[in-house]
Amino acid sequence: MGALLGRLGEAAASLLGVCTLVFLLIHLVPGDPVAAMLGEGARAVDQIELRAALGLDRPLWTQYLDYLGGLARLDLGASLHSGRAVTALLAERAGPTLELAVAALALAVVVALPLGVLAALHQGGWIDRVAMGFSMLGAAIPNFWLGPLLILVCSLWLGWTPVSGRDGPLSLLLPALTLGTGLAAVLARMVRSSLLEVLGEDYVRTARAKGAGPVRVLWRHALRNAWLPVLTLLGLQFGALLGGAVITETVFAWPGLGSLVVESIQARDYPLVQGAVLVIALAYLVVNTLTDLLYLALDPRIRSR
Amino acid sequence: MSGARSLALGAAAVLGGCARGAREDAVIRFAVARPPRNLDPRLATDATSERVNRLLYRTLVRLDAAARPVPGLARWEQLGATRYRFRLGEQGRLFSDGSRLTAHDVVATLASIRAPGSRSPHRAALAGIAALRARDDDTLELALHAPDTALPSRLVLAVLPAAAIARDHPFVTAPIGSGPLRLVERPGPDALLLERRADGQRIALVTVRDPSVRVMKLLRGEVDLLQGDLPPELVDHLARAPGIAVRAVPGANLSYLGFNLEDPRTGSLAVRRAIAQAIDRPLLIDTLLGGRARLAESILPPEHWAGRGDLAPWPHDPERARALLAGAGFGPGNPLRLTLKTSSDPFRLRLAGALQAQLAAAGIALAVQGHDWGTFFGDVKAGRFSLYALTWVGVRSPDIFRYALHSESLPPGGANRGRYRNASVDRLIATAARAPSLAAARAPYAALQAIVHAELALVPLWYEDQVAAQRATIRGYRPAGDGNYDGLAQVVRVPVAAEEE
Repeated sequence: MGALLGRLGEAAASLLGVCTLVFLLIHLVPGDPVAAMLGEGARAVDQIELRAALGLDRPLWTQYLDYLGGLARLDLGASLHSGRAVTALLAERAGPTLELAVAALALAVVVALPLGVLAALHQGGWIDRVAMGFSMLGAAIPNFWLGPLLILVCSLWLGWTPVSGRDGPLSLLLPALTLGTGLAAVLARMVRSSLLEVLGEDYVRTARAKGAGPVRVLWRHALRNAWLPVLTLLGLQFGALLGGAVITETVFAWPGLGSLVVESIQARDYPLVQGAVLVIALAYLVVNTLTDLLYLALDPRIRSR
Repeated sequence: MSGARSLALGAAAVLGGCARGAREDAVIRFAVARPPRNLDPRLATDATSERVNRLLYRTLVRLDAAARPVPGLARWEQLGATRYRFRLGEQGRLFSDGSRLTAHDVVATLASIRAPGSRSPHRAALAGIAALRARDDDTLELALHAPDTALPSRLVLAVLPAAAIARDHPFVTAPIGSGPLRLVERPGPDALLLERRADGQRIALVTVRDPSVRVMKLLRGEVDLLQGDLPPELVDHLARAPGIAVRAVPGANLSYLGFNLEDPRTGSLAVRRAIAQAIDRPLLIDTLLGGRARLAESILPPEHWAGRGDLAPWPHDPERARALLAGAGFGPGNPLRLTLKTSSDPFRLRLAGALQAQLAAAGIALAVQGHDWGTFFGDVKAGRFSLYALTWVGVRSPDIFRYALHSESLPPGGANRGRYRNASVDRLIATAARAPSLAAARAPYAALQAIVHAELALVPLWYEDQVAAQRATIRGYRPAGDGNYDGLAQVVRVPVAAEEE
């Protein structure tokens, strides 16, 4: 219970730190939202009035306190450019982002687990070399190249999938494959190295000596223990995916959080940037806190510390 | 992305106009590079929103091809030096919610733009209005603080229903206009489904940011039409693709090289002339733009009522450039070193690289700094640059001369980013503003453009063509010089058999 509360306290402190940093950074970078809204032809009096109406003429610390007050009420404000509630703008992007993140991660796990296990079980053999070759290739191919290549083959040549957009389950395939390939590559290597480490442990030798078959040794003794570092990696990767994948979203015209963040930074849309980064940070924290809690559940050694 | 683009081009060459994924419904799909962010025409600032809003709403006044004001919803008469009367016609008087557009709606729209604390970028344009009132449902009267012949041009403003304004209707997402199209729904964050009110034809606006992907969607038939924001190699490819028609019209958006005249180096006229003569603009147009642009000599294109077509280009002459630099104290032992700031847009960086090479041939060492848009534009407005490259988009009014060149328009009070100061130009701008008619304003505008051209307050590079590409089943769409989407009000889909002919 203590560990749980401690972890939640750390998460809350991290979140406050992120909010503060984002608030300061977005206010310190060059660019004026009032100028962006009114244009360069605006009269000074119009700029002053609008600045006052938006509360941007007040001291930074007052704006910061207001921002925190809004957060406490779950009010993220309104976009400076569209005037729409930030929560509404984020909500319509959260679904597609979550959909893509889950699909990419699921794909990565489905590919990486057997690949990593096979590679570990056949260490040094041709299966290991092929699996790790694939893994190296997957990690090396950038998404901005893989995405168009997949479109070319699957959409234009074979006609199996739509080129881009979010229009039915088939449209999810290529972006998930693009994002998932890199993840699968890293994950497969992690599964392999983690499993190799565990397979050399005394308790695995003991299990074998007790007459346990290879499948039982793998599932009951080795994988359960090799799982922990893989979980950490999965948590980090899932958090990153929830933050939006700008390049993949751009290539596949996927209406997710990543492209929204980039556009709002370019437009100096302070409330939208703050809201989006907050949601992304929150996603990271939730996923990683859950990962830590899963650790507690899975590993009795951590619970007993 | 270039590797992927090459692959895409190769594949498309194999596929030609293959329409395997073509939709079979009647909706015409139009791909755009950026989504419309704001469907409230009083507040919209991004180009896509402005172009869509032109279709959703009607404006009191329109501009013709030469940017002269012509009747939109209303005709007008000047009752005195500072008084105008606008009379609404019968066309375009029905809002999409079924209510009738009246002069009271016009008054309410203008009043909401002029309200204190208004977020509208049009507020400054209406600052000269002293009073406005609706005499009846069809007539509106305006009184000005001072004579202003450009007033009708300032009223190219969309009209919204007064009742909806009063109840703070969210026009941003739910537009109510009297334009030729209406919004049916937003199928996604970056998409709009529109309907043409005259014949019920549905038109979907689909946002596809990546140009290669946009082209692939057109080739596969997932979209029917796209316009602008395409690199020349993709335009060339589309022009060769069977089943795709490419149409280009002369554009009016000026790409230019801006100088900081407060920098002692670029403040020197000899240095500016050297730079202008070191740049081979025709070569840049041929190589970077695939020939789809025309040379520019002024901010306004020659066909504009206040434009000039007789300004002699600065010829490309690296030897002359070297001589000018030598006269200014620069040479092999003391080369002129400058930094060009630009955005991180790939085309902008490519242009910067080409300029770097051309200026190097004249002995100028040009460093290039690419920044994200907000940082770059912030630096330009703050004067933290020697040289920058930008494009004026959608400039239709000669007010641009006051806005961009008057000595009282230095940022943040205007867009005189180069800190250009010339008392003669200031006087000519004032003279043109006081002129009793557009015809009388032409002479001062022509004179000031000659001065600015001779003094090289900026180096006008080119006006880039507007290019649209469409499938053969699409007819009636004509791109506009300023990049608007007005052609969607006429576009039609013809039977598939016609595509196969």
